[in-house]
Order: sequence, then structure tokens, then C-alpha cells
Amino acid sequence: MSTSLDRQPQPLPPSAETAPRPGPAAAGAVRRPPRRLRDRVAGAGFLAPAVLLVGALLLAPFAATLYRSFFDDRRISGFAGLDNYTLFLTDPVLSRSVQNTLMWVVGTVALPLVLGLGIAVLTDGARWSRTARLFVVLPYAISGSAVAVVWNFILNTEGAANQVLRAFGLGSLAQGWLLEWPGNTLVMIVANTWQSAGVAVILFLVGLQTIPPETVEAASLDGAEGWRKFWYVILPQLRTVSVIVIGTSLVNGLKSFDLIWVLTQGGPGRQSETLAVSMYQETFLALRPGAGAAVAVALTVIVLFASWLYLRRQLTPKGD
Amino acid sequence: MRTGRSTAERGTVRGAAGKPERGTVRGAAARTKTPLTYGRLARRTTVVVISLLWALPTWLLVVNALVPAAEYGGTPHWWPQGFGLFDNMSEAWTQAHLGPAMGNSLLYAVTSAGAAIVVATTAAFATVVMPVKHKTLWFWLIYSGTLLPLQVFLRPLFLAFADTGLYDAQFGLFLVYAAIAIPFAYFIMRNFALTLPPEVIEAARIDGASWWRMFWQIHVPLSKSAMVAAFVFQFVAVWNDLLFGITLSTSRNIRPVMAALAELQGNYSNVGPPVVLGGALLVSLPTVVLFFSAQRFFVSSLKLHG
Repeated sequence: MSTSLDRQPQPLPPSAETAPRPGPAAAGAVRRPPRRLRDRVAGAGFLAPAVLLVGALLLAPFAATLYRSFFDDRRISGFAGLDNYTLFLTDPVLSRSVQNTLMWVVGTVALPLVLGLGIAVLTDGARWSRTARLFVVLPYAISGSAVAVVWNFILNTEGAANQVLRAFGLGSLAQGWLLEWPGNTLVMIVANTWQSAGVAVILFLVGLQTIPPETVEAASLDGAEGWRKFWYVILPQLRTVSVIVIGTSLVNGLKSFDLIWVLTQGGPGRQSETLAVSMYQETFLALRPGAGAAVAVALTVIVLFASWLYLRRQLTPKGD
Repeated sequence: MRTGRSTAERGTVRGAAGKPERGTVRGAAARTKTPLTYGRLARRTTVVVISLLWALPTWLLVVNALVPAAEYGGTPHWWPQGFGLFDNMSEAWTQAHLGPAMGNSLLYAVTSAGAAIVVATTAAFATVVMPVKHKTLWFWLIYSGTLLPLQVFLRPLFLAFADTGLYDAQFGLFLVYAAIAIPFAYFIMRNFALTLPPEVIEAARIDGASWWRMFWQIHVPLSKSAMVAAFVFQFVAVWNDLLFGITLSTSRNIRPVMAALAELQGNYSNVGPPVVLGGALLVSLPTVVLFFSAQRFFVSSLKLHG
């Protein structure tokens, strides 16, 4: 999105609103309300549905959650200041949740970035690798819940992963993948990568196509080949796409709920929760809405910060 | 894969025009000229290994969804054995009540995404074409919805819905999904509207057309492709939702499909893995088909997004 926000198409004709003119326009202005007022009413009418729906169903609930996060969870809840927020320091479940969220952030940013870039570069421009790309993009079309079902089949104690290990005589490595921390969080990050790398591949392929072939040719003529050409010529030109890939995987990783919920429900013993899951647990299962609201607000702050990091770049007008 | 073909096509076109082009040169080299060097061999091997690794879970999903549930002995199958796919799917269909759930999700996805696209397009029309004040404010007010995590809306919506009778009601879920779909749809439609030539609307305005007429007879026909892209995006998002499904509904005839699948997964050991996998396959089909048939739109709107 390179267009600047403040582009204002000029209404035509501008003078009709300020100076009365002879002819039919002036005659019309006598009977009907002035054009500017009618335009304003019409504009409000076109904007109202979107603004009202977003305001009532998204922004107002957000404000309510923000407000709620400053009140405690007793029967008649009183003002609690920042008490709910200090839970992140004192409550072991929430500290673990923060740790897991950090692992998710690192894992969901680094893995799709490296794998997506690698797969896109390796399969770009070669006809025979179309099938390979199909395999990588296919899981992206599957929902998080269905991905969780598939990976549960692979990871449970009688699952395919342990079966493979036993077949190769590595039975000692077989384990309950989803039962122990931090292994359960790590394997869920792998499952998430399996699903989400596809979109990174698509984005990087789009990016590779926008690189002018002349620069690559020039580099080849100068004797840059293989790795050097990739590192010094191609990679710098993919920077914009990388920012988008990082931004979207960061935000999606932070919000990720269905994969964890269906695979482990955050367990065992709430060990594999991320902030996105903890909010649900605290609010609806532990019935601590104040704590849940604080978790939701903390998550919002992190997501907003992450979004700002990449939106800042996307929203800066390029060239104007 | 669409993107792959367009690279190849570009190669041919540029090559025919007589200019040096990396796609052509590299493609030709890979096929005939250069012998298979170690680097090239390593590259091909990497691609083959990666695609095999990636295909493996999908393979397991399909193969084990095919195994008749009664013959499943407790360990995963690696090769097809018997054919019980349709039995497994119908078992999942009845056990998890997937029929009504898929009907609900179809209803939510079509109506919410459709309503959101219309509302987003009118808002984009207002903030790009019409002389509305404070455009930046309106942009951020609507767009901010995509930046907030869904968790932050949950409890207030739950409470408000419980008070107003919207909890566990189809209309309630429709409203929520529509509201969630609007911000990103607006983002796409607004980006698109900025690329339309303003002259067309100006001409219509001089002719005395009303805003409503300009919107329906000029703006909407011009925006159709972007509207389709935004619709596909939001359809997939609504279809895949689990969070609101389990928070704002409980009844089987109201809840969406992912909530039903999650319950089926909870019964994993009772109904048998082939049935659960068959169910997962079944509920994934609509989005997979839609995704691959609309991939062209996806790629072009991602480009737009970038």
C-alpha cells in the first residue's frame, strides 16, 4: 500500500458549492438544500454502516475489555489498578504463557521467513518444481483446526512420528510429544510452520517476479554467480517483501489459537498456553475476567507494536 | 501453480522479444545445455526433500482417512488399504453433526462475507470518491479492527449477546463475522478504489447522477474483481473460525463447523482416528477448492497489499 492516505479526489465543480452561478444550478439550489449539505448527508450514509458495525462490535468491546482489566475478580469487583497486570510476574501459569508466546514469536517469524525464502528461490523459474510448490502451499488452504487434527495423528503416543522412530531403531527417542514442556510448544510451532510457510512462499515468489531481470543479468556479467548473486543482488531487492512476511507471520503467530486449542487445550497443566489461549482460559474457564482482560490487553499491545513495526514501512508513501 | 506459470510465460515472452531473460536462460540451461553440476544436484535434492517432507502429513491424512475405521489397528498406515473414506466421512458427519455445522458455516461465510464486502465497498467509495471530511480518521477507525487481536472482543461480546438474546443465535454470529470481516475488506477495497480513474465518476457527476447511482452503476461494476478477491479472503476466514464459534454458541444447530470438528477431535479415541481424519478432510474441502480456484485473485490482491 504505497498510496498516501491523504489523497483527496477533488469534488467537481468546486465553485458550485461556494458561489451561486446563473443557470440551472442556481435554480436547483433554490428549491433543494445546497449541494454541499446533500453531499455530506450522502457521505455519512455511505460511511455509517461500516463505522457503526466496527464501532459497536469491535471498538466498543475493546474499550470494555480495557476498562475491565483494571478491576479485580472478587464477587463485587473493585478497582484494582494494575494488579491484574502484575499477575504476569507472580502467576506461574501466566509467566509460562509469556515464555511460550516468545517462543511462538521467534519460531513463527524465523521459520516461515527462512523456509519461505528458500523454497521460493529454489523453485522460481523452474518448471519441474511446480509440484513441490503445490505441496508447500496446499496446507495453507487448510484450517488451523484441521491442521491440528492431522498433527495430533502424527504426534500422539501411538502416532506416526513415534512409529517412524521405532522403525529406524530409535525407539528410545519416542515420546509423548504433546505431554512435556517445552517440547509440546516446539512441535506445535513446527505444525504451525507446516501450515503457514505456504503464504510466505507465495509472497516471496511475487517479490522475485518484481525484481528487474536487468540487475540480475548485470550481476552475472560481472561474474557474480550462485550464492554471491543471491546474497548481494537478489536478497536486498526482497527487503520489502520480507518486511511483509515478518509482519504477517508475527501477528498471526501471536494470535494463533485454534491449533493449540485443538491439540492440547493449552495443557497439560496449562504448560503450552500462549497469551491468546490464556485469555480464553482465564476468562471463560477459570472465571477470572479481570485477569483475562489484562492478558487480552497485553496481547493487544504486543500485536499493535508488531503491526506498527511493519505498517510504518508499508504506509510510508513511496515516491510521493 | 499460477505463479509458476506466469514466470514461465514471462520468460517465453521476453525471450521471444530477443532480450536476455533469466527465466529463459536458466530454464533452457536446466533442461539441456549445462551438465548436472554438484550445485544443481544439491538444489534439486533439497527441493525434492522439502516437498516430500511437506507432503508427508497430507499423505498421512489422506491414506488414513481411507482406512475403514473397523480395520484400524491402533497404528498409522503408510499405504492405502481398503476403501472406507465415504463410510468414515459419513460416520464423522453423523457423530459430530457435521451436516448442520457445515450448513451453518456456509450460511455465515456467505452472508457475513457478502455483507462485509458491500459495506466495505460503500465505505471505500465514501472515503475515496465522495467529498467526505476527516478521511484519515475514518480510515484508521475502520482499519484498526484488523490490528486488534480477536481475544480482546470476546468477553464483552459474550456478555452483550447474553443480554440481548444474540448468544447462541445465528444472527449474532452473522453480525460478529461481518464486523470482523469489514476492516480488511475495507482495506482491500479502498486500495483498489484509489487505482480507479476519478474522471469516470466526475463525468457522471456533471451529468447530475446521484451518489447512489454512481456507486451501483459505475463504482461497483469497476470494482468487481477486487470484491471477489475480498470475498474469498473473508469466506475462508469465517469458515476457519473456531474462537467465536465456541464462545458465542453451544447448540448443534447454531455452532459453526470448526467447533464441531474440535468436538470430534475430543472424541478421538472413541470414534477412531480414520473417522476424525475423514471429518478433517471433509471440512477442509470447501476452502481448498476455493483457494486453488481463486488463487489468481489471491496473488493479485497480495500484490496489491504489498
